[in-house]
Amino acid sequence: MTTSISPTKASLPPAPPVQAARRGFTETVAPYAYITPFFVLFAVFGLIPLLFTFYVALFDWNPIGEHVFVGLDNFSRLVGDVRFWNAARNTVSIWLLSTVPQLLIALVLAHLLNHVRLRLALFFRMTMLVPYITSVAATAIVFVQMFDRDYGLLNWLLGLVGFEHIDFTQSVIGSHVLIAVMVTWRWFGYTTLLYLASLQAVPRAIYEAAAVDGAGGVRQFLHISLPSLRPVIVFTIVTSTIGGLQIFTEALLMNRGAANTCGPVRQCQTLTLFLFEQGFIQFKFGYAAAVGVALFVMVVVLAGLNYFLSTRIRPVKG
Amino acid sequence: MKFRNVSAVVIAATAALSMAACSGSSSGTSSGGSDGKSFEFWSFTGINAKGSAEEYKKIRPDVQIKLTEVGNAQETAQALTTALAGGKVPDLVLIQGDDLPKFVQQPQNFVDLRTMGADKIKGDYLDWVISQSTTKDGAIIGIPTDVGGMAIAYRADLFKEAGLPTDREEVSKLWPDWDAFIETGKKYTAATGKAFIDNAGGSIYSQVVNQGQEKYYDPAGNLVYERSPQVKTAFDLALKAVAAGITAKQSTFTEGWSAAMKRGDYAVVSAPVWLLGSIRDNAPDTEGKWDIATIPGGSGNWGGSFLAIPKGAKNPQAAWDYIAATQSPQGQLDHFAQARSLPSTPSVYQDPKLTSVKDPFFSGAPIGTIYTNSLLGLKPFLIGPDSTTIGIEFTNAIANVEQGKGDPAKAWDAAVTNIKTAIGG
Repeated sequence: MTTSISPTKASLPPAPPVQAARRGFTETVAPYAYITPFFVLFAVFGLIPLLFTFYVALFDWNPIGEHVFVGLDNFSRLVGDVRFWNAARNTVSIWLLSTVPQLLIALVLAHLLNHVRLRLALFFRMTMLVPYITSVAATAIVFVQMFDRDYGLLNWLLGLVGFEHIDFTQSVIGSHVLIAVMVTWRWFGYTTLLYLASLQAVPRAIYEAAAVDGAGGVRQFLHISLPSLRPVIVFTIVTSTIGGLQIFTEALLMNRGAANTCGPVRQCQTLTLFLFEQGFIQFKFGYAAAVGVALFVMVVVLAGLNYFLSTRIRPVKG
Repeated sequence: MKFRNVSAVVIAATAALSMAACSGSSSGTSSGGSDGKSFEFWSFTGINAKGSAEEYKKIRPDVQIKLTEVGNAQETAQALTTALAGGKVPDLVLIQGDDLPKFVQQPQNFVDLRTMGADKIKGDYLDWVISQSTTKDGAIIGIPTDVGGMAIAYRADLFKEAGLPTDREEVSKLWPDWDAFIETGKKYTAATGKAFIDNAGGSIYSQVVNQGQEKYYDPAGNLVYERSPQVKTAFDLALKAVAAGITAKQSTFTEGWSAAMKRGDYAVVSAPVWLLGSIRDNAPDTEGKWDIATIPGGSGNWGGSFLAIPKGAKNPQAAWDYIAATQSPQGQLDHFAQARSLPSTPSVYQDPKLTSVKDPFFSGAPIGTIYTNSLLGLKPFLIGPDSTTIGIEFTNAIANVEQGKGDPAKAWDAAVTNIKTAIGG
């Protein structure tokens, strides 16, 4: 409806007084017209595909063949599918292993970078973003080579000091750690800068007063930096939950020998990779859509839970 | 070693860039046009599709080919699926044999090539190959462009160090069957302390399983993977090789596989004809050190591709003209000389242009003769819609034992359980 009001009308020169009523109308509607493009795009590329996924999940849907309505069969099969639960376990494990260290590292780094006497502060702050602007695929290829069992840099170094080579990609925990390292590497700079921006809004005087009172760096961090960061911490926890549950590229590029399952025993297959395997390797679109719906529910529940828990920290403020 | 890793990254990045460039590039004007002579062609990367298109333009200068190298074979099949579902399809598409059954099951998406004249030329092709692209009703939806004859690539220099024969005739005699092959591997490993083959799944299981007359389906289309003797034999042989400790545990096409190949950390790769290009590209410094011997058991086929015309094609006639010109026995023979894809047309197997091809990278081995000999007398086996999935689960189970995580005694049962979960019954 709002689209019928052309945005160009809002930019016409001031209308004569006789058209006051009309101008009032234009001014009421114009803001909606301005935000319409976003909602149109969101509907086309976000909402409709989302709803369509729910619809497809009710079918045995061959993309180039028949679409047979099966009701909730896909979901009941999913509940009993060990591959799904394995993927869910992997996803949560990788998410925890990547999010927790990432946020902690970012907190400490932001506090250090905020130090008033830091030289080359701009340089360090800019450098932080390099991993973030590097292509995920490139990062994954380099890390997988560095952690390679026989020819990787890391295992070569371990070998030099007399340790056994570690086969990261083939073991469950090893592959999870490797993916978590890649995710942390990619995101820690971005998160640090968010924290830093927030920290810079804290008046210097508070730190100075604390220093005068004899508070060291650690105390300043715990009692000034941390409490003032709470809103942005909540934000980063929610966004990294959403992102962490959708890890895909790193897992896909991990085990080239069995890429779609992230290894011969699905040791690091995430939910999105399982979805990809079902939908675009097996062409079981209905089943893949059911995985997508399950993932959607998980993200909503976990993000909600996170939000709830992290806002509950408030009373600790001190 | 560090430098090697760095250069590998650079190569990978360059490859990624050039692939992106390829997928965006097109040699011609926009899709086909209305003159009915031009067409849009989707192919894979790495098989010199551009060269084939250029060759065709020499004989048909009036034709514009809009060529897109979509990605690897699997990615091309994915893109085709999406295109068929969405309705905007190319006029001509190359499909790898492993991906073909899914499309043969849904023949309504493709032009029945009998309507274009495929009936007249189908006798040119190996019957067990064109049967893969023929539906139950007899419709032909694809013309076979090449087949995957089998052989063994080995490092003659490393064989010499291990005190084994190096001449390809004598080496072939070392392994009349797979047990003898594994025994040879034990001798090599005992003499050098190094691995004999790259991995058991690719170099043993996938070879043996493609040498039988029945794989995962019986001729009627029933699933028989659990009781097919060839499958069990292949699986047990692979586990035997793992137990013998002769594998380098490097999965095919991984970074480790390439690195180990460059360093000579394994001496042997079972190499269907399409794998020769990967050896050449991955380890260019090993030129002249390789040679090719016959496959244990003598014959077998793994792989091959097909050209198909989607039903919604705008210029099916132009696409068919291309197939007819380039996939004739003579056309395939010419293509073999430059691109090493083995003809699917047996009439040219004795042609001097094929038998005289010697590959200098592999010490001048007569690859035309070696590979076509592996195809003679083959009986077709049925490839079904779940063949790829079943194959992946079996090789995964073997890889799991090979990487030291899985119990060999439980591997078969685990694979069967996984297959049942994957294909739903």
